[in-house]
Amino acid sequence: MMNRRLFHKTVGLSALTATVPTFLQKTGSALAAGARSSDRVLVVIQLGGGNDGLNTVVPYADARYYRARPKIAIADRSVLRLDDTLGLHPEMLELHRLYQDGGLAIIMNVGYPNPNRSHFRSTDIWETASAADRILKTGWLGRYFDAACAGVPTDPLGLRIGDQPSLAFAGDRLRAATFANPKMLENPAEGPAGRAMQRLSAVEETGIAALDFVQRTGNQSAALSRELQRAAKQVRPKVDYPPFALCQSLRLVAQMIVAGLPPRVYYVTHGGFDTHAAQPQRHAYLLQEFSEAVALFHADLKAHGQLDRVLGITFSEFGRRVAENKNAGTDHGAASVLFAFGGKVKAGVHGKAPNLSDLDPLGDLVHQVDFRQVYAGVLKGWLGADPDRVLAGRFEPFPLIETGGKGS
Amino acid sequence: MKPTVTWNEAAARHLLSRACFGGTPEQARQLAALPLDKAVDQLLDKAANAPGPDRPEWVREVWVNKLRRYADMPREEYLVTFRRASTRNDEELLDLKARWVRHMVKTPAPLRENLTLFWHGHFTSASSKMFAVTQAFYQQNETWRKHALGNFRTFLEAVTLDPGMLIYLDMEESNKDNPNENYARELLELFALGVGNYTEKDIREIARALTGWTLDAPPGTVKPDRPTSPETARSLRRDGLVPTFVPSRHDAGIKTVFGKTGRFGVKEVLDLVVAHPACGPHIASRLIDYFGAHDPQGTLKVRMAKAFVESRYEIRPLLRELFTSPEFYAPECRGNRIKSPVRLLVGACRDFDLQGEITPSLAQSTVPLGQELFNPPTVKGWPSGEEWITSTTLALRYRYGEVLLDGKPLTGTEPLGRIRGTLIPREPTEARKTISRLLAIDAEKAGSTSKDGIRIRFEADRLVPAELANDPAALVEQLLRRVLVVKPRDASRSAMVEACKAVPPAERAKLVARLILACPEYQVE
Repeated sequence: MMNRRLFHKTVGLSALTATVPTFLQKTGSALAAGARSSDRVLVVIQLGGGNDGLNTVVPYADARYYRARPKIAIADRSVLRLDDTLGLHPEMLELHRLYQDGGLAIIMNVGYPNPNRSHFRSTDIWETASAADRILKTGWLGRYFDAACAGVPTDPLGLRIGDQPSLAFAGDRLRAATFANPKMLENPAEGPAGRAMQRLSAVEETGIAALDFVQRTGNQSAALSRELQRAAKQVRPKVDYPPFALCQSLRLVAQMIVAGLPPRVYYVTHGGFDTHAAQPQRHAYLLQEFSEAVALFHADLKAHGQLDRVLGITFSEFGRRVAENKNAGTDHGAASVLFAFGGKVKAGVHGKAPNLSDLDPLGDLVHQVDFRQVYAGVLKGWLGADPDRVLAGRFEPFPLIETGGKGS
Repeated sequence: MKPTVTWNEAAARHLLSRACFGGTPEQARQLAALPLDKAVDQLLDKAANAPGPDRPEWVREVWVNKLRRYADMPREEYLVTFRRASTRNDEELLDLKARWVRHMVKTPAPLRENLTLFWHGHFTSASSKMFAVTQAFYQQNETWRKHALGNFRTFLEAVTLDPGMLIYLDMEESNKDNPNENYARELLELFALGVGNYTEKDIREIARALTGWTLDAPPGTVKPDRPTSPETARSLRRDGLVPTFVPSRHDAGIKTVFGKTGRFGVKEVLDLVVAHPACGPHIASRLIDYFGAHDPQGTLKVRMAKAFVESRYEIRPLLRELFTSPEFYAPECRGNRIKSPVRLLVGACRDFDLQGEITPSLAQSTVPLGQELFNPPTVKGWPSGEEWITSTTLALRYRYGEVLLDGKPLTGTEPLGRIRGTLIPREPTEARKTISRLLAIDAEKAGSTSKDGIRIRFEADRLVPAELANDPAALVEQLLRRVLVVKPRDASRSAMVEACKAVPPAERAKLVARLILACPEYQVE
């Protein structure tokens, strides 16, 4: 029988890994103290609601674009030019600078066959990396943890900043945590109540699955809270982030990366892209936030000397219809653009401007790159995992990572 | 042979916990004294005949849009109107939430409210996407309660033409030139059939069949002879909340749905939907998911679906089948379900017989735990089961005594940053000014929502005789027996007894209540 008192000492649980009962190991609740600053980190930024790729990376040389969008097209003279055919939305000043400095990759026309236009279903498809006609209950990142990190005793391996857990992290074992604010994990109780609460958090197997699940989660929660407090104390950001949601989420992610916390994958959400009406105003501030937040995060990591450990990618459940609707907005579409950044990313525009003469029957863009190719590229090129063990089916890894000696 | 139910006090406790937000050992004893069928019928009868909550004074006979933005209105004047209307609506919505929680706690027929909550998570509408129409939420809540154990076909028609639903899933603006597919899609995907039981074409055809319905002022209303700009958002120019059929907006052509062809409108489409073989199993599995049952072979689902079809789509026989089934009382099922945050709050108020007033701030205390009334996160509704528990929500649940016993809101739950919501000027001084202005607005809003406070009280003598506090072991035992549906772990019992010994007797019952809220066993039902 395990001496339960050991669990309540302030030492990290990693010291106990060898003696942790299998019941606890099931969740991998052990959480190592101390930085492991050599591990590579992936940061996923979800642009929730379906980002309009055409008004984000604008095909400003294409008259068909202007014909399809008389009210909401971005004028050719105001785009931030990438090349002779494409330009960024005028509010993406910071990312345009990053592009010019060789730190931003833009992958054009990313999607999947038989695109689904329901927010929920299509988000599930992206998060589970399933085919459109197949329902998977596990996420691509959860399967990566299952396939490639089974021997890693530390948790959480995934961390989402937000209100709800992400399906992307669902696996045979849940190895991810979610919070909107790290203070939520702290328990301020003191005195007899505080001491008793420590004891209540001891894990004692009952055979009731839901109850045992609660106990294991409690154990993980306490350990994570200690690590977060350490990160906040030890790491000071090297740039000023404004008080907006995505900026502040990435500020915290940078702190955790620099402090060497266990997560290998961070997941943040920037929502509100479902621009059915009055798109111009709304899309402008959404992209401004996106651009500023990513650029600050990039600069912060670089100043801490951590940029080469980090790859960031974006995704959105779908792009939007090519033709604008009657409310100066756009309806759910299909293929869209994806961004990537980091010290080792293969920068530049990958692919060409979308072909606006070759639309699908609903008037949506046809994808040229399957998003699972991008995932395969991330898994193989960045995380060093075998994509075939994570993705259902074979996908040619998209060359997203510099294999040479590029660094920052 | 079909396994049978061992109907006893423990089984009755299980039923009360799942169906009625909990019950005391005494209530379980009374219920267990009846045969199972009679006990379940009694609960269902009570639920069917239960009165709803009182009507709030802010509900109007005729709803008038106070938010109209006329084309000739100066921006300043409009902003004043806008702020006034939006503040009033925020207050009404908070009041509505408090009224509902109050009713869940006080009602003699909690099953009716639990079912209303179930349907609210099934036929969703979310306040975050519906601006300034609190009255529509009141009406929707009344409608869901009215049909909660009635006829599903009748219910589905009330849902389809519910003002809140017409707004939430965009049918209000759908017309024959631009049929909006949003409602049609969710009707099939989430509300009635489930994925895989229809085609994209069915969705498009149903969307056409449902065109023509919109919201308007009551017939005969004289509308203001003052135009709104066509660019104005719908919420700023809506004339009323009365579902109205406008023939000129309806696509009266031939439609083909599930292989059947005709000039379908709402009634015909809903007849086809409920008659679809996937409808009964879909509703059955949603109910099984909500109330919990151990149904690995799907046998219970089949029986429930059969009861549904044979009764011509009545909901009550489905529930009766569920609550009398061996699958519902299976050993694998007992205590093996995570309470939802609302279940936790309402259950705790009932379990500890908390006194005082249920205020909006108390009703909102479930938000950081992952559940806000009238605002489910997606059209799919709320999570369920283990999805409720994360490192974070669990840490907050363990601190719930701060809310329920100390009357304080949970600290540290605010989001990390605000939604930008507007373009920030690029010039640094202007940017700083804009940001401070936005933060000032947030601070003002935060102050206004918490001013009512949490005014609920714990009174030890309502639960245990005062002298019991002198015997910590007996005190702990009695309170645990009163509120837990699972056997307490040794660690819990001994931690509570030890803690009691460190404080004066008068503080002990409250301390035990605090620790019960902070223990894993209290999270399950």
